[in-house]
Amino acid sequence: MRKDQTLGAYLFSQGVSRRGFLKFCSATASLMALPPTMVGRVAAALENARRPSVIWLSFQECTGCTESLTRSHAPTVESLIFDAISLDYHHTLQAAAGHGAEAAREAAMEENAGEYLLVVDGSIPIGNPAYSTIAGISNLDMLKESAANAAAIIAVGTCAAYGGIPHANPNPTGAVSVSDIIKDKPIINVSGCPPIPVVITGVLAHFLTFGSIPELDELGRPKAFFGQSIHDRCYRRPFYERGQFAKSFDDEGARQGWCLYELGCKGPTTYNACATLKWNEGTSFPIGSGHGCIGCSEPDFWDKGSFYRPIAAGLWGSRDALLGAAAAGAAIGIGTALAARSKKKRANAAKETEST
Amino acid sequence: MTLLDFARGPALQWSMIILVAGVLWRLGGTILINAKKDLSKARKEHAVADGLKTIATRSLPAHQFEKNIRFQHFSGYAWHIALFVSVLFFAPHILFFESVLGFGWPSLPNSIILITAAIALAILFALLIRRATHPVQRIISNADDYISILVVIAPLITGILAFAHLGARYETLLAVHLLSVEALFVWFPFGKLMHTALTFPSRYQAGSSYGRKGVRA
Amino acid sequence: MNSNAENLRNFRSRLEAIGEGANGEDPMSDEERVRRAGNAFLREINGRMAVDLETCIHCGMCAEACHFYEATQDERYTPAHKFDPLRRFYRRELSPMRWLFRPFTRKVDAAELREWQELVYDACTGCGRCDMMCPMGINISELIVVMRKGIASAGLAPPEVQALQNEQLTGGSLFGVDAAKLRELVSQLKSQQIEVPLDQPKADILVLTTAVDVLVFTDALAALARIMNRSGASWTLSSKAFEAANVGLISGNTSAQALASGRIIDQAAAIGAKTVLIPESGHAYQALRWEGADSSGNELPFEVLAISEFVTRELDAGRLKFKAAANGRSVTYHDPCRLGRHGGVFEEPRRLLEAMGLENRDTESNRRENYCCGGGCGEYTISRAAPLRQKVFEIKRREFENTGADAVITACSNCRVNLMIGAENARWQKPIESLVETVAKNLTDA
Repeated sequence: MRKDQTLGAYLFSQGVSRRGFLKFCSATASLMALPPTMVGRVAAALENARRPSVIWLSFQECTGCTESLTRSHAPTVESLIFDAISLDYHHTLQAAAGHGAEAAREAAMEENAGEYLLVVDGSIPIGNPAYSTIAGISNLDMLKESAANAAAIIAVGTCAAYGGIPHANPNPTGAVSVSDIIKDKPIINVSGCPPIPVVITGVLAHFLTFGSIPELDELGRPKAFFGQSIHDRCYRRPFYERGQFAKSFDDEGARQGWCLYELGCKGPTTYNACATLKWNEGTSFPIGSGHGCIGCSEPDFWDKGSFYRPIAAGLWGSRDALLGAAAAGAAIGIGTALAARSKKKRANAAKETEST
Repeated sequence: MTLLDFARGPALQWSMIILVAGVLWRLGGTILINAKKDLSKARKEHAVADGLKTIATRSLPAHQFEKNIRFQHFSGYAWHIALFVSVLFFAPHILFFESVLGFGWPSLPNSIILITAAIALAILFALLIRRATHPVQRIISNADDYISILVVIAPLITGILAFAHLGARYETLLAVHLLSVEALFVWFPFGKLMHTALTFPSRYQAGSSYGRKGVRA
Repeated sequence: MNSNAENLRNFRSRLEAIGEGANGEDPMSDEERVRRAGNAFLREINGRMAVDLETCIHCGMCAEACHFYEATQDERYTPAHKFDPLRRFYRRELSPMRWLFRPFTRKVDAAELREWQELVYDACTGCGRCDMMCPMGINISELIVVMRKGIASAGLAPPEVQALQNEQLTGGSLFGVDAAKLRELVSQLKSQQIEVPLDQPKADILVLTTAVDVLVFTDALAALARIMNRSGASWTLSSKAFEAANVGLISGNTSAQALASGRIIDQAAAIGAKTVLIPESGHAYQALRWEGADSSGNELPFEVLAISEFVTRELDAGRLKFKAAANGRSVTYHDPCRLGRHGGVFEEPRRLLEAMGLENRDTESNRRENYCCGGGCGEYTISRAAPLRQKVFEIKRREFENTGADAVITACSNCRVNLMIGAENARWQKPIESLVETVAKNLTDA
């Protein structure tokens, strides 16, 4: 597999038929919400694309994002396209170890300066850089160093995109997201805990096709995948509209597949493609399995109260505060009434001096 | 912190603290100003029963008086009932009450809630226009009257928009809806919305003070 | 018996003379007026009124209960507007949230007190009809009374009311009716074989009368004497305390009110009266029956009865009997506000009419919802308000005509004076009669 080989040449050499390739292109186009007329352009672009060098950095993470990616069933177009990039550095997947691994990263950065893609999963501890180091290099330094000559950065998973679980209150490591540190490079946030594999490959396909990053929402996520809420595309939505809600996970409503809003589903405030692309080869997604969305692709999803607390319920502190307010209010009321009484007494006393 | 987190968290907490403290402050401070004992000999000794009765009967149509106030009376019934149905029987609202009170109750279908909310909104607009144009209401109106009507209209509008997912993303609509309700909570103890609580002692007094003279009030 | 019309004419010119002869405002600086009005408001606003003042939602439905608004469609006559300065004063000075409300609530000034004089004296008779209508259960009339008290303390009561109040406060007489005038009438009645016990040292019942009866409705006093004599009760009039009318209650001067009530209460105690009988006067009934104890600070050691209550009781006890006088005559009983809505006496007068064989045809508004005569609570003494009063009278006239009854009967000489003046101005011929006179006429001889 030579670096200057085009993607088309490589795929055909791997036994992919033209028909199969075009099928992949139209799937990719529809994935990116492109009109069908763009399929030809996608095909032409992909066929002639050079396999780009990809450096994958794993910081404070659980490897779930990588696991998600590798759980896609082979052979799939996703796996093919992963064959089609030159993944030059990835802890979990690369064969090299120790100094050899670091040498590979340095070589890739040097050879492809200004052209390589940097993929990051995991958050970066800045409270004390020693919380997470690779080959003696702190995550912070490695990110800065690797980002310096990258063409673009893809922050895979909610940890890289928004700090994720390490960032959750009380955030002992001082974890931050990639975009908190890198300000001068295009960053694509592919959030989710983990993200949908097809979304990762879709973003790569877009980059390969157009050589640019896709249109992003205000949280830096590709609109093609994060433009609609889970709730908007949920197959249980009609039950919501009708006000039919499961009240517990084992009641008749739950068995009938009614809306899980009352069980704390965060679908209405969560933007992701789970309801359309689904997981495990398009088999299902959490709501399809009877559990509400936990909102994992949103910033701070871990700190928004219980997963089982409905969105309509407040996130307020405690009833004690209200009892305190009641006591304070009553006390002020009694005070003002007593003051009013003494004011009336003074007016009564003043009456003696008035003639009329 | 997102707008929704703010609306669901600190804004909700503080608005409820203001609501609870303000209501007790105003209610306690009013009732305790002093009650002079009436030394005259009552004609009837069931002033308490008369007071309680008037709390109920003042909600009924007013017989001879009715002819000139029919519109106000029945529009008043209609929008209050429609508002209470919308507030109390919309499933997400019940979840909210459950989170505060610890218990819930059955909800009504969303289609009905949408209709009641629209009815309440339409009537409130009509009443707002009436207040701004009718000579009697104009002369007795002050800022409180307009603020109070607006803080009730706002949650209805934002609620309908959030329900229909119209105009912005759901979490923004929901946050704005919550904030509009919180605005209502904050205004409640200071304006005439307090009649929700004050009408009970007020009607009771009318019933008992007229009742002890032998007059059904 | 035909002297009523002439007496009324004399009384009318006397009323007009009061207005012309009265002084203007009490000399006082505007700051002093505002201060005094404020002190009166502070004294008078109690917890009940505080609740009412906090509860008003400005719906304006009260306007539709007000005969002054109905007759003129003038929005200034909306009852809730009539106590607006009081509401603002309360919000600035007594409300639990006064510190928050004060910056947003305009202060009451002397110009407003002057402006509101018309609204609460000329255009409000305190009838309380709005109290019955208010969806929030606010006792609006009570709040307007406090407005009168504030304005009176500021020396801004209308000149007529002020003059009458001063007369009662200083000399104890009213419209020039003093003890000598009473004695004159008593001896006049004696010459007509009507015995009126005057100044008996001890009596079970102290009977009161009013200047209006002495001057205009002398027959009413005669009728009252006949009823009392027929019942065989031990009763007396007292030259020290015969005046039932209480101008302090009308003007809003609590000291004057307490003084007038005190005269009666002291005299009743002196003669050991168990009952004080109020003549046909609504506000006199309110002043003693419902407010007498509060003005004096003690529970009353006697009961207070309106004539219709007394006669009903005597009828039930068999001490009085009516002739079977059923002649198919129909009447309309007009409930005086302060005897009915403010007093609770609705059914006794109707029972008496029925017992006398008269058909009572109630007006569409009756009892607790009855329209005021339009001149109550001293309103009919204010000359400048005559045109307004006449408009309001038309409401009564329409209601009376709709019943088709032969006559109007009432149990308040002030209602009667006012209705008769209205009828005379409108050249309306319906007789306006007195309940006590009708009762006296229908008593059996033995």
